[in-house]
Amino acid sequence: MPELITSFWQTYNTLFYTVFVHGMLALSIYITLSCGQLSLGNAAFMGIGAYTAALLTMKAGAPFGISLIAGGFLPAVVALIIGIPTLRLSGVYLAMATLGFGEVVRVVILNMEITGGSLGLNGVPLKTELWHLILVMGILIYFFIKLRNSRFGRILEAINEDEVAASVMGIRATYYKVWAFAIGAFIAGVAGGLNAHFTFFISPREYGFEPAVDILTFAVLGGTRTLWGPLAGSTILTILPELFRFLGPYRLALNGIILVLVVLYLPNGIVNRDTFTNLKRFFKKEENA
Amino acid sequence: MKLFLKSLVLIFGLIIVATFSFAAEIKIGVAEALTGPIAKYGVPIRNGFTLAAEEINAAGGINGNKINLIIEDEQGKKEEAINVFKKFIFQDKVLAIFGPTLSNSAFAADPVANASKTVVFGTSNTAEGITAIGTYVFRNSIAEADILPAVVKTSKNKLGLKKVAIMYGNDDSFTKSGYDVFKKAVDAEGLQIVATETFAKGDIDYSAQLTKIKSLKPDAIVCSALVEEAANIVLQARKLGIPESVNFIGGNGFNSPKLAEIAGKAAEGVISGSPWFLADPNAKNQAFVKAYKAKFSSDPDQFAAQAYDALYIMSEALKKIKLTGSIDSDRDVLRDELAKVKNYNGVGGKFSFDANRDAEQKGRVLIIKNGKFTVYSE
Repeated sequence: MPELITSFWQTYNTLFYTVFVHGMLALSIYITLSCGQLSLGNAAFMGIGAYTAALLTMKAGAPFGISLIAGGFLPAVVALIIGIPTLRLSGVYLAMATLGFGEVVRVVILNMEITGGSLGLNGVPLKTELWHLILVMGILIYFFIKLRNSRFGRILEAINEDEVAASVMGIRATYYKVWAFAIGAFIAGVAGGLNAHFTFFISPREYGFEPAVDILTFAVLGGTRTLWGPLAGSTILTILPELFRFLGPYRLALNGIILVLVVLYLPNGIVNRDTFTNLKRFFKKEENA
Repeated sequence: MKLFLKSLVLIFGLIIVATFSFAAEIKIGVAEALTGPIAKYGVPIRNGFTLAAEEINAAGGINGNKINLIIEDEQGKKEEAINVFKKFIFQDKVLAIFGPTLSNSAFAADPVANASKTVVFGTSNTAEGITAIGTYVFRNSIAEADILPAVVKTSKNKLGLKKVAIMYGNDDSFTKSGYDVFKKAVDAEGLQIVATETFAKGDIDYSAQLTKIKSLKPDAIVCSALVEEAANIVLQARKLGIPESVNFIGGNGFNSPKLAEIAGKAAEGVISGSPWFLADPNAKNQAFVKAYKAKFSSDPDQFAAQAYDALYIMSEALKKIKLTGSIDSDRDVLRDELAKVKNYNGVGGKFSFDANRDAEQKGRVLIIKNGKFTVYSE
């Protein structure tokens, strides 16, 4: 039996690591979505974080912890700088602007010497361990749970419900939106740093348009009303393709079908605010009957 | 109940038969991009492998053991490649792995195979430093660095080139590393570079770059591009009135039959380099092309040919070893034997591994004449 477990773990540990990283990315977009902002720049922030962290460990020999924190801070600073003008936009316009920003980041990485350009950065040392991921995820979950009933969390919710009304109440909407944006960038950057240190290699291709949409899909599929939604969405979308490997080339079609079904029948995502109360009610009914 | 017992016996019987017939098989993993944008490279590679495996098995296998290819899709993504490699190594317990399709994925996945002492054999990874990952990493794809200098040298001598313009795609590792090699070769030959122009994957209009190049009147245009862009560039260059006497000298993307297909007459005189080309008259290649066409109803490309050769190269090594059933020692023995393969005569000509487990194979300089690749110089 233990041998079975070891071989299972050896086979699937990267998948589990990826589940954690995707979960963090989903949370990074969840915080901006929770104040009603559709930002598609998180893949770019992940890229900045990944390159910062990887370059620090490779070229400067920095300890992993320092690299990771720097990998979170740099994207957060960038987010503060670009957030101030762009977060005056909203809806589709903000999405377009952040998408454009993502493209800028990709092209900059592509043309820099130190990043290796299109050849990517090869030989990133293996540093990420399971406990790092569990620790970071634990901190994030704790943060988001605390956030919900904090002043900041309530302000974000107020902005999400009605930005104009919130402003009338005296909330500086843009100020808080920029902070949410920067925190999201920080989380995405740390996720990028963690990812770079267990995949040996990073290249600009991984932080373009497609991953930006993937991150959004995690959150939308899972539901953006609670913190559990994005986590559920990212976990499901990461594990499913591996689970359905036997379907061969059609397994990605299955992903699409599931997405369509969820959007049709669970328009608020797999986990929404009523999920827990509904579950409770369901079990109560069983008891009564 | 009786029926149940009967079927139970039958099932057990089948399982026993199955294990016995599976006992004498050599499991080899094939990890290629079979879906997504990279599939156009991955699918011909898979075809090359399946064709070679069928031929080897039809001829009785290797020392009586059949080859069992386990084929998985890695989508051209690094995480997927790592997942597939781990599945192969720890779950399927394959003897060796072929793939992945892209050099990028190889940089991510090959360290996994190397760390668990499993041979990984790339057939389409041309980037520099792939085999430096470790002693279990092999490849038979000839690197740009081995062939492009010869292409430049031959063209210079035959055409009397003095000054050239360079164009390359700067957002793709394949075309960028092709450019780096070209640049070195052009400098080594003492050619003057009148202009260096770049473009990005998916561009469709190159008139700005080509107009500039046209005004500088180079003797030839050195170009590192994937085939779609390459065909477009060649077409637009001729349309803009760059005369046919200004030959295109292309990297790996230019040796695809698709180039002549898309660019038609404009592709005449395009010079490129490859160890393999479709019309190569050697008997082994002709048989391969025929068999491939019969099975997949399309012409093979360079990647299919390299995959086909790769499995035969692997079987050369497998023939010489006695499998013990202990996967760890078998993998080690295979590694040592594979490194010794010398002078294997494949569809791409004579092949050996060099000391770094890279391909040692003579590339040929090709030119397109009447819509077909022909040898420009051996």
